[in-house]
Amino acid sequence: MGGEAFGWEEKTLAGRAELAARAALLHSRGLTEPGDEDLILGLFDGEQLVATGALVGSVLEGIAVAEGVEGEGAAVTIVSSLIKQAVGRGMRQLFLFTTSQEAGRFETMGFSFLASTGSKGVALLEWGMNGIERWLAGLKTRTHGKPGNAAAVVVNCNPFTLGHRALIEYAASKAPWLYVFVVEEDRSLFPFKVRIDLVRRGTADLRNVTVLEGGPYIISSATFPTYFIRPAAVGGDASARAVELHAALDLALFRRHIAPALCITDRFVGTEPYCATTSIYNRMMEELLQDRDGDGPVLRVHEMPRLEKNGEPVSASKVRALIRGGDLDTVKELVPRATWEWLRSREAAPILEKIRNSDSRH
Amino acid sequence: MEITKSAMAGSLESSDVLVTVAPGPGPGVEFKVESIVIKQFGKRIRSVTEEVIAATGVQNATIQVQDRGALECTLRARLETAIARAAESA
Repeated sequence: MGGEAFGWEEKTLAGRAELAARAALLHSRGLTEPGDEDLILGLFDGEQLVATGALVGSVLEGIAVAEGVEGEGAAVTIVSSLIKQAVGRGMRQLFLFTTSQEAGRFETMGFSFLASTGSKGVALLEWGMNGIERWLAGLKTRTHGKPGNAAAVVVNCNPFTLGHRALIEYAASKAPWLYVFVVEEDRSLFPFKVRIDLVRRGTADLRNVTVLEGGPYIISSATFPTYFIRPAAVGGDASARAVELHAALDLALFRRHIAPALCITDRFVGTEPYCATTSIYNRMMEELLQDRDGDGPVLRVHEMPRLEKNGEPVSASKVRALIRGGDLDTVKELVPRATWEWLRSREAAPILEKIRNSDSRH
Repeated sequence: MEITKSAMAGSLESSDVLVTVAPGPGPGVEFKVESIVIKQFGKRIRSVTEEVIAATGVQNATIQVQDRGALECTLRARLETAIARAAESA
């Protein structure tokens, strides 16, 4: 049995025929192609593809073994190779996306379970020395001594507007302490450093607010890859389902790991008038964080209507649209002073230029 | 021995061990051991790992040992190879 491993040939799948064989193998196991793969590996027994797996950023996905060769180490061979390739590319922390039913199999390969969307759903696992426990321990040193029953908001702030400010102010007035998590993934037009800095400066007067990095565990390319895709690409039922799946995973992880670690009992969110992805996320939040049967403590979700100016909701996408249209005077009315001053700074010029030339959702 | 990059040796296959070495915050070496036979051999795996770390004089590194029931000679070989690869200047 073990000797058969020597009969398998591993290679990177590239040609049309190989990719078709891989798609067929994934479909036969009830999986779909993840898309955006950086690397697709296949294991061949002669001409036949017996196993496949892919690397999407730092996420191992699309791992399947043909019926009849299970239990012979094909999955382990593929996963070992993917890990080596990823580490060779300088990654220190990896994730693995699979069905909940298969999660146990990868736990025996050294992956730790992070969250799932239920026993028939999907699961996210991680691998590496810097896991969620270490990340949470780092956060806890900065939240030590803060009161319990805290509230949380998660914001991208691309850039920080009066709408975000109103939400934060409202949440802070309702809770003993408020944690503001800023999405850390650098895939937005405004860089993370700028976004979090503007949130910090724009909330410095609120005494019960701590601004924290979202890390790899809150709306990241591991927990919520579809968040960063343009709206044009998020069309059709299949992608709406993908967004729901990722939103569910992100929320399950928040509820299972992050909320208990920081004693968070409430989550505040602003209504989303423009973006379909965010409005799905908000709807799922009400459903999943308050569900009595979920994993982790039940949270209360509060949705606050968006701040309006001149009869229109204030949002970062509106601000970006105004920048694109060259209407900076109107922008001034929609953003806090810190954001406005930054937008007028020299550092902002290349980013404003980028916004004018882009139609990215983010 | 200076660790300059991340490197690995071994695999997750049965009777093997996957060793990952990466530059660490230092000083010293931090390591984590996982094993399917941790109850029976956890102590021995740790002491072998410590021994190899001491013998190679590796500094400022993190080492992850994921054991799938490897023999001691396999574990030593994987550790030495992963450390040597991570210390290569390339």
